[in-house]
Amino acid sequence: MGKRKSKRKPPPKSRAVEPLETQFNCPFCNHERVCEVKMDREKNVGFISCRVCLEDFQTNINYLSEPIDVYSDWVDACESANAAA
Amino acid sequence: MMYDDEEEEEMEHMEDEAEEIDIDEITSEQWQEACWVVISAYFDEKGLVRQQLDSFDEFVQMNVQRIVEDSPPVELQSEVQHLQGDLENPTKFSLKFNQIYLSKPTHWEKDGAPMPMMPNEARLRNLTYSSPLYVDITKQIQQDDDVTEKTYEKVFVGKVPVMLRSSYCMLSNMTDRDLTELNECPLDPGGYFVINGSEKVLIAQEKMATNTVYVFSMKDGKYAFKTECRSCLENSSRPTSTMWVNMMSRGGGSGKKTAMGQRIIAILPYIKQEIPVMIVFRALGFVSDRDILEHIIYDFEDPEMMEMVKAVARRSLRYPGTKQQRIKYAREILQKELLPHVGVSEHCETKKAFFIGYMVHRLLLAALGRRELDDRDHIGNKRLDLAGPLLAFLFRALFRNLLKEMRLTAQKYINKNGDFALEVCVKTSTITRGLAYSLATGNWGDQKKAHQSRAGVSQVLNRLTYTATLSHLRRANSPIGREGKLAKPRQLHNTQWGMVCPAETPEGQAVGLVKNLALMAYISVGSLPEPILEFLEEWSMENLEEVSPSAIADATKIFVNGAWVGIHRDPDHLMSTLKKLRRQMDIIVSEVSMVRDIRDREIRIYTDAGRVCRPLLIVENQRLALKATHINRLKDTENKFSWSDLVAGGVVELIDAMEEETVMLAMMPDDLKVGGYCDTYTHCEIHPAMILGVCASIIPFPDHNQSPRNTYQSAMGKQAMGVYTTNFHVRMDTLAHVLYYPQKPLVTTRSMEYLRFNELPAGINAIVAILSYSGYNQEDSVIMNNSAIDRGLFRSVFYRSYRDNEANVDNPNEELIEKPTRDKCSGMRHALYEKLDDDGIISPGMRVSGDDVIIGKTVALPEIDDDLDAQGKKYSKRDSSTFLRSSETGIVDQVMMSLNNDGNKFVKIRVRSVRSPQIGDKFASRHGQKGTMGIMYRQEDMPFTCEGLTPDIIINPHAVPSRMTIGHLIECLQGKLSANKGEIGDATPFNDTVNVQKISNLLQEYGYHLRGNEVMYNGHTGGKLTTQIFFGPTYYQRLKHMVDDKIHSRARGPIQMMNRQPMEGRARDGGLRFGEMERDCQISHGATQFLRERLFEVSDPYHVYICNNCGLIVVANLRTNSFECKACRNKTQVSAVRIPYACKLLFQELMSMSIAPRLMVQAATN
Repeated sequence: MGKRKSKRKPPPKSRAVEPLETQFNCPFCNHERVCEVKMDREKNVGFISCRVCLEDFQTNINYLSEPIDVYSDWVDACESANAAA
Repeated sequence: MMYDDEEEEEMEHMEDEAEEIDIDEITSEQWQEACWVVISAYFDEKGLVRQQLDSFDEFVQMNVQRIVEDSPPVELQSEVQHLQGDLENPTKFSLKFNQIYLSKPTHWEKDGAPMPMMPNEARLRNLTYSSPLYVDITKQIQQDDDVTEKTYEKVFVGKVPVMLRSSYCMLSNMTDRDLTELNECPLDPGGYFVINGSEKVLIAQEKMATNTVYVFSMKDGKYAFKTECRSCLENSSRPTSTMWVNMMSRGGGSGKKTAMGQRIIAILPYIKQEIPVMIVFRALGFVSDRDILEHIIYDFEDPEMMEMVKAVARRSLRYPGTKQQRIKYAREILQKELLPHVGVSEHCETKKAFFIGYMVHRLLLAALGRRELDDRDHIGNKRLDLAGPLLAFLFRALFRNLLKEMRLTAQKYINKNGDFALEVCVKTSTITRGLAYSLATGNWGDQKKAHQSRAGVSQVLNRLTYTATLSHLRRANSPIGREGKLAKPRQLHNTQWGMVCPAETPEGQAVGLVKNLALMAYISVGSLPEPILEFLEEWSMENLEEVSPSAIADATKIFVNGAWVGIHRDPDHLMSTLKKLRRQMDIIVSEVSMVRDIRDREIRIYTDAGRVCRPLLIVENQRLALKATHINRLKDTENKFSWSDLVAGGVVELIDAMEEETVMLAMMPDDLKVGGYCDTYTHCEIHPAMILGVCASIIPFPDHNQSPRNTYQSAMGKQAMGVYTTNFHVRMDTLAHVLYYPQKPLVTTRSMEYLRFNELPAGINAIVAILSYSGYNQEDSVIMNNSAIDRGLFRSVFYRSYRDNEANVDNPNEELIEKPTRDKCSGMRHALYEKLDDDGIISPGMRVSGDDVIIGKTVALPEIDDDLDAQGKKYSKRDSSTFLRSSETGIVDQVMMSLNNDGNKFVKIRVRSVRSPQIGDKFASRHGQKGTMGIMYRQEDMPFTCEGLTPDIIINPHAVPSRMTIGHLIECLQGKLSANKGEIGDATPFNDTVNVQKISNLLQEYGYHLRGNEVMYNGHTGGKLTTQIFFGPTYYQRLKHMVDDKIHSRARGPIQMMNRQPMEGRARDGGLRFGEMERDCQISHGATQFLRERLFEVSDPYHVYICNNCGLIVVANLRTNSFECKACRNKTQVSAVRIPYACKLLFQELMSMSIAPRLMVQAATN
């Protein structure tokens, strides 16, 4: 004879520290969460590619870099390319 | 004479001088009375609910105005029509809110006539005691280039409930006589609201203080130390934003490169990653390592400290991101979300960097063990949200909603007409309903998000006894989950001395979480820090923005409300000036707290609301600042010298829990003597009895009891019967007990005077013998004197009020109060409706008993055009009368007829019944010694003394030794002496002048046994009892628990609709539950037939017909005796099965979920 769970349940607490995203929206085909990053820590190279449109990008990283930094670099590179054109 | 002349002369000279100085000093003999003069002055001026009243006044006078003024103007513009090709200039509107006005409480009758409202009228008619709030609104219209401005004066925006006896209440500044004429009790303290006729208290809500830096150590976690700062802008609706600076634990955490030592990371609001602190500094614009280190370590010569930071310094990185948006986002977080109490405007980076640097500094100090960790349970680290801040929180949200709705309606009108009328757009019900909803339900916040908000903030004021009312108005609650197993927040903390009552807390799940304020504790209402900041600026404080980091190490840091504002090089002088100013009440308000932390070189000044503080006597040069002249002037009633003059005169001051840590506090003025424990006293306790709360102050000699007994009595005192208010005869409380012949206790504490216990007592001085007599007082039962009860001992009257009202008048389903008739009404009960008057209401003086009709009411049945239904034709109404509780009897005491808020007829009826004590009723002394009456003996059967005295109550001697309630015995002894002396005896705690030996000696002088024992004779036999009996008067309380309200049995009776099991509860004539544990017992005995009887035959027996084929329930028509399983087309192979109705219900529920419970039956083989 289990007790019924109380109806008043506090809302789930949002954590202060959350893991960063690892999948990103593609700047080319605009599909959501399709770009994945490969971090080569040995060679200090970050490689990001979209698994839908197969666009890719590569940038230098350091030991503090996270996938989102690679993605940011990609977006910045796109911006500057657009500005140049 | 033993001295020679010279010496003698010198001695005389010295005595003279001493006398000259001492002439105004208070001697220790005088002190006994003098301290109570001071305490009386405090309570005469402040009363017992000052925190509530001040908090509410602050809300009305300051907070509402601030919220209204600070709200951004409502900007509107007409929609562009795009009729012609050219650009149009739309008309712009702007609404600005200015001065507010709160009028006196007013009620608008249904016809629209405003009437001043009195609290008791609100109580009786179930109205809300509230005042209309008006605002001046300036409307600005900008068309092309001309700007027209119009001010609408005093626009009605909503009604605000008014706290009784606050300065906006009708009753403020009224004389006792006026109050009595208004049917108010002059002793009622106020401090509560009247919402829909019920009295609501706002319970103080405890929270952690914001804007202060706390360092905690973490046991085996990711972090070794956490530095937390919950930052919050005062008077804003912004939620608190928390930031942490944490030190990773050695080896733990990410596992990446731990060789460096312990990393320090920061967690910022809205940033979901840990960031190395160095990066935060760089983001704030401090790039070089030296720059950053200067903000963290003020002294570079400190090798230990440097070593700690080295690890930090090496890891550095630019703030990630180059794109414009990302930078802007980051910058805005740093400006607006990070540490908002330091600043939210631009260019606060320096201050924020210093503050974060300070946090790191604190973290390092803690990690090095140079500074103690912070204590969450220190009451100085807590704040109590009272009525003011709680209402301000609600009002802020509601006013924002009001503006939102206003904007919507105004835009609609602008789109339609090009302009709008202001009056139409202000929806007054937003504020009126919003405030009333939260106060009525206790759900603090928006009604739509009811389950997210805090529950139980507003409670119905306890009116059982006057002490219970007072205690309820001084209660505080900590909103920590009751299930939490952590003991720390529940324990009595050292710092709670004098602030929170050590005895009064509930037992069980809320123990220690629900607190009660000590008698002289006061809660700060908050004041603006600006005057202090200005003063500091003038008084050569070096502003943090201009200070060079190298200067910090040798100077003292100054914090105002948690924000680091600057440094000062002469803290001694500054501090003494600040203190002087506070004592003169010049610039600095007396409730401001100032802490000088000499060791850590900090001065912390707090002006915020919710700090618990208490008054202390000021000591200067080992002498009280309080002199005999002060006492004389206080005693002189014509002088009008009051408590506030003492505060203004620098004789007493309010000290909060944090400042208390920095004072040297003497318990008694006697301790100030030279050569004592200490010669640097700064303050002196007024009287240690003031550490107790309302309920514990009723206990005589609490300092002689085992502490849990005081806690038990504190809970029981709230259930004692007495006179709960002097206007009980004009009130219509749903439940009320009034004692017939209440007596003020023979043995009192001095504090009782302020609790009005002598005017509104809750008990009787009974003659008590502690004696084993006939065995009818075993196991906490008591023997009582029948003859005394016949004479009226502990007789009480019980009132219960019933109410009903008409509704939907002139509607298809109108509810009318009238006498139902059997020819028109369906559903009338088997009761005497003849007792009702023609108007459908019972008349006063009528004797009524269980299930009698009290209020006749009918509900009109909507007309059904169904010709077939003959029943429907016969009845046009349904009975919906109110009946007396089935287990009660009484006499109709009072009938009240009125109109409620909706203008409907509204009836309240009060029924009275006299309750004479009987076997099973509950009684208690004031020492947590409760018991039920086991037997009543007539006077002749009671034991008697040589004087012929018989006891009213005989308690069992076994009740005392294990419980160690020595106070009970001393009370009896003191009572006996007082009765002989004809004086009230003193039982104030911590008073060495009253002791057992002294009482005994005096008692002996009256010819009694030294220790209160007496020779007694058996009432039945007349024989002398073999031992002497401890005998004397003791104050006893009659508690509200009485057998007649509890007695209950049932053989058969009503069942529940849903599962056909017996009803629950005495009020519904329910059954007694045969529960799981009882079931387990019977199983272990193997008593299956008994179990079957209890759980099935006498509960919900039922039978169903089952298809033998498929095992499911078949369609059965018992009238034609035909059965059919539609699926199997089976009409013959059917079995009757006896199962509980609840079981049948379960099967049907399962079937509704496409689960087939099949009962496969088989004929018995033999």
